[in-house]
Formats: sequence, structure tokens, C-alpha cells
Amino acid sequence: MTAPTAPTAEPRTTEAAEVIDILGTEGTEVTDATTGPGRDVRAHRLPGSRDLYNRWEKQQWSIADVQVHRDRERWLALRPFARGQLFEALAELEVGEVCVSRTLSGLVTYAPNDADRIYLSTQVADEARHVQFFQDYLHFAAGEEQTISEAGQQGEDSAYGRLFEPRLRASIDRVGELDGDLTAWHIAIIEYHLVTEGELAAAALHSTRQLARRLELTALQEGLGNVARDESRHLTFGLAVTRRAVQQGRAQTVYDVYRDATRLAARVLVNPERRAVAPALPTALVQRAAQMRAQWDLTKDRALRQLRLIGLPELHQELAVAWEDACTRAMAEYAEIWGAPHPVAKVAENAKGASIQ
Amino acid sequence: MSNDIHVRVRKLVGDLVPTGVRKVAAADRIVEDLGYDSVSIVELALALEVEFDLSDIPEEQAMDLVTVGDIEGLVSRLTPSQP
Repeated sequence: MTAPTAPTAEPRTTEAAEVIDILGTEGTEVTDATTGPGRDVRAHRLPGSRDLYNRWEKQQWSIADVQVHRDRERWLALRPFARGQLFEALAELEVGEVCVSRTLSGLVTYAPNDADRIYLSTQVADEARHVQFFQDYLHFAAGEEQTISEAGQQGEDSAYGRLFEPRLRASIDRVGELDGDLTAWHIAIIEYHLVTEGELAAAALHSTRQLARRLELTALQEGLGNVARDESRHLTFGLAVTRRAVQQGRAQTVYDVYRDATRLAARVLVNPERRAVAPALPTALVQRAAQMRAQWDLTKDRALRQLRLIGLPELHQELAVAWEDACTRAMAEYAEIWGAPHPVAKVAENAKGASIQ
Repeated sequence: MSNDIHVRVRKLVGDLVPTGVRKVAAADRIVEDLGYDSVSIVELALALEVEFDLSDIPEEQAMDLVTVGDIEGLVSRLTPSQP
């Protein structure tokens, strides 16, 4: 049995700090227990599964303590536009959490060692708590009788549920079909931990926390902070095991899967099947496009930083090009479906036209 | 400029001020004085479109919208005059 790692207040390594920063868990103390004196920091720059288990024990929280009903009065006072924006963001997060909570057990069963399995078991508990938190918030603060997941409509109403979840589910099913094949397991980890959690959920949490702060919803701010802290552990695990896969000679597979899943994440964000809010007033259209573009850029930056942390920095430019190409294709698809350019494309066209004149 | 448009625009802008409903004047600057941010500007634009049935606003007509008075001017130019 591995000896427990004592809690430490020693400085974080650059990379561990970067993992924390990548999730935007500001104000969250996540110590790196692997960097004490006498340890080979070059070999242990990302925490191991046991360290992450220890963090999990120290970072417990409960939905009851958050008291989601505190936000009810404030929620009722929100104007319809703000309420709509926030509701949409929370519903998407809830669907994402439900989807991953339904699939994670496959990764636990076929984890390649006990330390990974035990860590992943803690994550199962986290995902259950996240689902419950979002559902409670939507019920008791937002006053929804039924969430999208409870109504069984995530396939129609959620971009993640429609576009990404089927791919993740297929990858996890394949791990079982191949009786725990390690490459298949790593592929599922990349799609689950690095892309679903590290790119899509992290970017969504970041923008939803900003909105919660702006709208002064204190229970939501607290709950999302707790969720973000949990996600930080999940992502760290994903980065560590994926880096292990790279070091074990699976670099090409890792990159191919990561690139394809990241392209799909771009499509989820552009969400061509859904008509985007596009104000007729040019000033407002520019603002709206800038908001969307900022969310996409934030996700792209996370994807690129993760690439470096898993040990593939040389593919930075290639991934950046793949991301932009995926966004451009999704916007072209949008124009085809709706007969009008996507707001981001429209603003870019206007800017191009203005610079030519 | 129609007095009705002038009153309705000011009411709408005042109702959507991010820090809470307030009375606004033509000279009030949307961002600097009233605190509108990127999200609330989008909200205001959509509300104006609905209130005044605006669509396809030419960019050259909507440049330099800084004050409440500028919005009143724009809406007034785009809204057919009432008999």
C-alpha cells in the first residue's frame, strides 16, 4: 500500500499552479503534495492519483451548506434576459454533469491500477454531487419543476448532449468491449477529462461564475466555486494519465484523439443547429459577437495549454489551426441551416469590408 | 422628434440600467454614466428592436451611439412617423 502523503504548504510547481489557473478556481487552495524536499520534481510535476485522493478528502463540501434557496428572491428579481442567459448556462452544465455521471463507472471498472481506480471512485461521488447541485439549484432557486435531463430531453435541447455525449459514450463502451484495453481507456479519459471537463465544462463554469457574480447570486457563486475546485482535481488526473500515455509511446494516438475531440468541442460551442441571438443594432451585434468569441478563445487557450501539459507542446500550432478550422466550418454550417451568417462571422465580414473601404 | 419616442426610449433605457431602474436624461452616456456593460447593451438592443419593431439597422446610421439622445435620434430616424 502506498503511504499517505502528508499535507504540505510548500510552493506549487509552475505546472501544478497552471492546472489550477486553467480552471479559474481563483481563491481555491489546491496544494501540490508531490513537490516536497527530496522528491524528484521533474518526474512528479503533476500530482498522482493518491495525492488527488488526499485532496478530495480535504476538499469536501455539501449542497446543504450552500443553501441554494438563498438565491430564490434574487432570481425572481432578475430581468428576463439575464434570467434566460443564466438558465441556459445552468441547464447546459446540468446536462453535461448528468451525461458524465452516467458514463464514468466504465472508466472506474477498467482503470489500469488500484490508485487510479480509487481516485476515479471519488470522482464518481463528485459527479453525483454536481448533478444534485445543479438540479437543486434549478428547482429551488430558479423554480423549474423539471430539468432538461429529468425530462429526458438532453438530446434535443443541449449542444453537448446532442453532439459530444454520443461520442464519449461510444468511447467508454469500447473500453468494455475491448475488455479494458489501455489505449481505449486513454482515449475515453482524453474525451472525458481533457475535453468535456478541461475544455467545455471549465469554460462554461468560468463564464457562468462571472454571470453569477454580476447578478449577485451568492449561493450560485459558492456552489460553482465548489464545483470548479472538484473539476480542478478531475482535470489534473486526466492530464497526469494522458501524459503517462504520451510517455509510454502513445503520443500519436493521444494527439489524434485530442485534436478530433477538440474540434468537436468547437462545434459544440458554435452550435450551428441553434439560432444565435443577433441584435440588429450593429453596436450590440459587435458586443454579442465579442462575448461569443471570448468564450471560444478561452476554450481554445485551455485546449492549447493542456496540450503543453500532457507533453506535446510541438503540436501547438497544428491544434490552433484545427480549432479555427472547426469554428469556421461550424459557422458555415450555421449559415446553411439558417440562411444568415452566424453573428461572429457577420461581424468579421463587416470588419473586413470596412478595412477594404 | 416625436415626443412619444423620446419618452419611450428614455423609459426603456432607464428600466434596463444594470445597477437598477433610474431616470435618465438625453445627455447621459450609456456606458460611462449609466454603467451599461456588454451583456446589458445586447439586452437593451433586443428590447429596442421589440419595442420599436426595428430590423436591418444600417451600420452607418448606428455609428457613434454614445448617449441616450443618440439612441432617441436613431430610433426616430428608423421609425415611420405617426400620422
